[in-house]
Amino acid sequence: MKSLHTDSSHVFLFFIKRKESAVKLRLSVLCVPISNTQILSTYDRLGHLDFVALGRRGEMENPAIQACSLNKVFKTKIGLWKIKSKSTTAVEDISFEVERGELFGLLGPNGAGKTTTVKMLTTLLLPTRGTAKILGLDVIEQTAEVRKHIGFAFSGSRGLYNRLTAIQNLNYFAELYALEPKVTKKRIPELLELVGLNGRGDDRVETYSSGMVQRLHLARALLHEPEVLFLDEPTVGIDPVGSRELRQTIKNLISLKKTILLTTHYMAEAEELCNRIAIVNHGKIVVMDTPASLKKRVSGDSVIEAEVQSAKAPILLDTLRGLDGRSMVKLDHSAEPEKLCIRTAEPEKVLELLSPFLNPDYILGMEVRHQTLEDVYITIIQGEKE
Amino acid sequence: MKCIRWGLVKQQMSVQLLVRTLNFFSLSLFILQPAVFSAVGMLLSHAAGNDVPDLVYSVIGGGIMGMWSGIVFTSTYDITGDRRNGMLELITGSPTSLASVEAIRTFTNVLCGFFAVLIAFSAAMFIFDYSLNGANLWGAGISLLILLFAMWCSGVFLANFLAWSRISGTFVEYLEMPVAIFCGFMFPIRVLPDWMQTISGIFPIRWALEAMNESLLGMRDVRYLAEHWLLAIGLCLLLLVATNWLQNKVQDKIRVNGELSSI
Repeated sequence: MKSLHTDSSHVFLFFIKRKESAVKLRLSVLCVPISNTQILSTYDRLGHLDFVALGRRGEMENPAIQACSLNKVFKTKIGLWKIKSKSTTAVEDISFEVERGELFGLLGPNGAGKTTTVKMLTTLLLPTRGTAKILGLDVIEQTAEVRKHIGFAFSGSRGLYNRLTAIQNLNYFAELYALEPKVTKKRIPELLELVGLNGRGDDRVETYSSGMVQRLHLARALLHEPEVLFLDEPTVGIDPVGSRELRQTIKNLISLKKTILLTTHYMAEAEELCNRIAIVNHGKIVVMDTPASLKKRVSGDSVIEAEVQSAKAPILLDTLRGLDGRSMVKLDHSAEPEKLCIRTAEPEKVLELLSPFLNPDYILGMEVRHQTLEDVYITIIQGEKE
Repeated sequence: MKCIRWGLVKQQMSVQLLVRTLNFFSLSLFILQPAVFSAVGMLLSHAAGNDVPDLVYSVIGGGIMGMWSGIVFTSTYDITGDRRNGMLELITGSPTSLASVEAIRTFTNVLCGFFAVLIAFSAAMFIFDYSLNGANLWGAGISLLILLFAMWCSGVFLANFLAWSRISGTFVEYLEMPVAIFCGFMFPIRVLPDWMQTISGIFPIRWALEAMNESLLGMRDVRYLAEHWLLAIGLCLLLLVATNWLQNKVQDKIRVNGELSSI
């Protein structure tokens, strides 16, 4: 098979050499931008190759996920006698790209717009404005095609028939994704093993724990071997052991070259798993970077938390005024006892300043630790509130 | 026939039976409800002065009523249940269209409902000594098949309204009795006033059912039956066209307002 497209100034050559088996085709040369004239001469010179395909720029190197100025406004009507229309903006101008094989995290408080974003990307919601592409396919115009390439799992026990067994559920979804019976028969035991449910496949889902249900969700989402996976708060409501097992399963998926978009509330989870993170609040991306860079963004890399006597807190705050502008001091009045939180790049100086007050009349207890992603998250979200 | 995904049909029917139908409570819908309707029909017939109750309209009509109720209530629960447990999103988000899933589900519901009709027939024959002697069996058989098709078309049409929003299920439930009355499930349509007969003309179920009932009562006029069958099939096709149009509208609407899930 030979195909030639010469209607683009940026054309890529894909040379696929046939190996012993037709199935084992190897992609050997990628992405050489050349002119139309060059294409034809190059094509002639490459006549000895078994297969030459020329494609437009981007056909093979599209990011896995592209969201461009996504907006979602929900309109509702409220009132009985005097009906009013109310618009709620759930997502506002969200743009990001996720590369193939990347694990990208969407973090944010409840109602930030994470799930709405995921639902738009998975074709379950139509954006009010903006566009999104999955593997170069438009989620609005090429809905059916997008659905073949994505898998998604939402949190909680919803999304499975509880009166059916795990295998019956998976068989049903295999049909919805039009898998060949032979493939289904092979895939289901493999997936049950991958998610640690082998031996429980013939049990009704209603007998499963929350963690098992969540792992079954993952198996269901992987059934048709999607290139892109959306996991919406996969560890919500799962005990620590179950969460750890699920995180390990997600890591295994990354080694299988899957692209994953993960939404979560758990910072440790995001820090452990994600290559990059976007923190979303009030429907907007507030910040987007790698976990390490995010931690550097917020002032300092150490956190000192001191439980203080309320009456003496102003004295301590006054003492800490000597710190430079990169340090951040905050008194949490809502904590009991009141908590003084200092983020700083110079912890030695803080300790030196506080040392005269290290007695129960002033400071009841103190902890010095490295800054975590949770600290960064709280700083950003609280900063937004203020 | 290659365009029909038999694997999906088999799986969807199995899921439907295992999840929704094969339990004591659902089966009651197909047994107890027709029995109650049959009993009421016979009492009314007796009260009207008939020494011998009209088994076609009372007992078999009760079975038809059970089939219709089964379609309405099971279909309603199918979608509201799926919406509640998150399955509606997952089905919609799969490459298989929700319309295909609804078509197979309604087909399963029609078959389960047919169980109620069979029970009603058996009750009429073995309990009340109803005899098929004199009935036009061919006419009744063909009419029954068209009736099942009309029920299926009506079911897939109504399924759109159920998917429409989180609260639209109530609207479909309201339609159960009016449709039963307009289509003459338990009495001859001719007893209705003219204006009601005119309205009933838009329901394909009415024409198929009338042909079946008349055949059971001995009608052998091929022209009369053929007219009824053609009207029923024609209206069914119109309903399918409307269903297709509505499905696209509903798909867009639920993806705009986010009512695919219950939360």
